[in-house]
Amino acid sequence: MTEAITVTELNTRVKGLFGATPALQNVWVVGELSNVKRYTSGHYYFTIKDPGSEIRAVMFRSSRARLDFEPADSMKIQAFGRIDMYVERGSYQFIVETMRASGTGSLYLQYEQLKHKLEAEGLFAAARKRPLPRYPKVIGVVTSPTGAVIHDIITTTRRLFPADILLAPAQVQGEGAAASVVAGIQLLNRAGVDVIIVGRGGGSIEDLWAFNEEPVARAIAASKVPVISSVGHETDFTIADLVADVRAATPTAAAELAVRNKQEILRQMDDDTRRLNKALTRKVDLMRSRFSVLDSKLDPKRARERVDLLAMHLDELSSRLGAALNAEVGRMHKRYAAAAGRLNPAVLALLAAKRAGTATASARMEALSPYSVLSRGYSFVAGADGRAITSVKKLRVGATVTVRMRDGRAEAEVKKKVISE
Amino acid sequence: MTNDDVEKMSFEDSMKALEELVAKLEGGELDLDQSLEVYERAIALRDRCRKILDASDRKVQTIMATVNGGEQRADFKEIDG
Repeated sequence: MTEAITVTELNTRVKGLFGATPALQNVWVVGELSNVKRYTSGHYYFTIKDPGSEIRAVMFRSSRARLDFEPADSMKIQAFGRIDMYVERGSYQFIVETMRASGTGSLYLQYEQLKHKLEAEGLFAAARKRPLPRYPKVIGVVTSPTGAVIHDIITTTRRLFPADILLAPAQVQGEGAAASVVAGIQLLNRAGVDVIIVGRGGGSIEDLWAFNEEPVARAIAASKVPVISSVGHETDFTIADLVADVRAATPTAAAELAVRNKQEILRQMDDDTRRLNKALTRKVDLMRSRFSVLDSKLDPKRARERVDLLAMHLDELSSRLGAALNAEVGRMHKRYAAAAGRLNPAVLALLAAKRAGTATASARMEALSPYSVLSRGYSFVAGADGRAITSVKKLRVGATVTVRMRDGRAEAEVKKKVISE
Repeated sequence: MTNDDVEKMSFEDSMKALEELVAKLEGGELDLDQSLEVYERAIALRDRCRKILDASDRKVQTIMATVNGGEQRADFKEIDG
């Protein structure tokens, strides 16, 4: 004998059975509505019946937008949906996805048909979605010239980024709306905008209908520039939303997608400036220390003198600080006091010399470099520690030394030494 | 090399060039002369970007097709209500 199960378990099994039965899923059922009740939650509860039988049914709020009529008692309808088990009550019900009044063509059905057709053509594919331009110069907008949409877009972009706006005024509902929207998209493509926002405010499925028509979908797909759609609100996607490169929930969101935030860009440029100053300062410091290290290796006795000479040259460069640089530094101090402060005097002096056009900065630094001696045909010998060996007395026969020349180094062995007095 | 051409560059191109130059200078592969040129050009590009951002003369216009297939633009005035 098998073990007893709970009622919950039993009903859960029935629920599973319903779900796994294709004949009870995605079916159209024909009948008449009765006991139609709309709850504050927005859900509809009603009975669908025919002369022989009846079934409890529910239509959730999220499905309501698909209807182009208000359900009422004794309406003859066809409902599309599935059977599901309400486990807590041990009753089953019909979950309605959409309904059409018998004898009339349903907008929702047309929507579904076009959606499937375009989906099969790959028009909604993620691979088709184009990236939006980062810094558009001109934003094209196709919408009503009197609605809140254009107002929100103008206000939002003004706050964020100084892009021009080109509005193609369009009729966004009623007879001829689709053609008007199509013409707007094509006109803005010819006018050469960087991105297009197509939009209208929320409304019933009939109000939004133009955005579910094939010509509009085709025009969006054919647009040379990316299209942002902002049609209706929240949950329900129109065909236009599905074809568009990006879908925005509101006109304000569409504008925010189209342009980047000015404050963000300014912060990024401040960051760039700091990085530039740091990199240049590091470069100059590196060259200075390289020279003084080499100097001391080559001739420790003259190292001090060399450094003094370097300092003198830098002083000379500083004295040439031109008017142009003063202006640059002044500007930097004003806006970037902290960043500019990190530019050391040597960098400023080199900038000044360059602006004055006196000599290239590298040539001036080069004149101070031990390498310039090497380039004239001299070489120096370094020991294993890398330090210059300035006396034969410090050499040992058989030792390996490094001979440093202008363009490289050579390992050499000491075979013999002669001390000249 | 002068940086006069920067004044004609678009915002997008300027920002892109600026980011490239910052990376180039940070790479440290350049000699000192090149570093200074890169630095000065980068500053010119930054100033160009700021100038565009600070511009307040943006246009809001409407565009209409004309019967002969052309287009007509006009300043857009918002209508209240």
